[in-house]
Amino acid sequence: MTPDQILAEIREANLSYLMLAQSLVRQDKEQALFRLGVSEETADLIGMLTSAQMMKIATGNQLLCRLRMDDDVVWNLLTSHGKGAANDGMSRLHASILMAGRHHEAA
Amino acid sequence: MARSKSILTEARQIERAVTLIHLGARLQVLESETDLSYERLLRLYKEVAGRSPSKGQLPFSTDWFMTWQPNIHSSLFLNTHEYLNKVAALDEIDAVIKAYQLYAEQMKAQGLEPLLSVTRAWRLVKFVDNGMLTMTPCSRCGGHFVTHPHEIARHYVCGLCHPPARAGKGKLAGSLGAAARDIGTVSTH
Repeated sequence: MTPDQILAEIREANLSYLMLAQSLVRQDKEQALFRLGVSEETADLIGMLTSAQMMKIATGNQLLCRLRMDDDVVWNLLTSHGKGAANDGMSRLHASILMAGRHHEAA
Repeated sequence: MARSKSILTEARQIERAVTLIHLGARLQVLESETDLSYERLLRLYKEVAGRSPSKGQLPFSTDWFMTWQPNIHSSLFLNTHEYLNKVAALDEIDAVIKAYQLYAEQMKAQGLEPLLSVTRAWRLVKFVDNGMLTMTPCSRCGGHFVTHPHEIARHYVCGLCHPPARAGKGKLAGSLGAAARDIGTVSTH
């Protein structure tokens, strides 16, 4: 990827993220807090963004969203590390429970 | 029962009741969570669901939530419910509705049967409020799981870190059975 391509891809990803986040917040704010893992203040801000603001925010060389699971336990469960593919269903469910329990990261 | 005079309040209650009926709630849930009369709820139920509500008592035991698969499903729901309650100020029944929708959606995404009904989910929240059930962190994965109160946290291991020996031997479609059976075969190699 050329630097120009990288910037274009990041802008694209940021814009998709912001647009999705905004429709989630507008549809059901409380569920959006769970889906996005952001604080209520952030959700309110996202909900009020205009298209022009979104375009401006999306432009840059850094992604706006980051990975929500930064520990080995969840990461290994999601990738079913070291276990057979058949175990996927259980590992995924296990990961969902752990991720649903992490509300302190949102606030 | 005190009837609400406000039309707006009533409209919101009807909307809630309709959502609950769509989710498959039993009539007792609607009776408990709205001020609408039994007759109106019955008519509403028939209108929305296109059939009469099922009769009979609600399950009243906490045992169901302790069995292997139901415990996993209940724990996912309750974690979601706690999440919503921690980050947003919601009326109790709205928290149940929104958490249940998120739970059901996750089950659909993973191709699993939603073992937990909305009525059971509602009961579960009541049991937790009454102190008859609680959540205990697993000593291995750190996830919170539905348990009886006074579970010794230091020794508690969840049903996913340590599935029971015969877990998932049933042939229920969309259950975790297939996955658990395959672990069995993998570990014998």
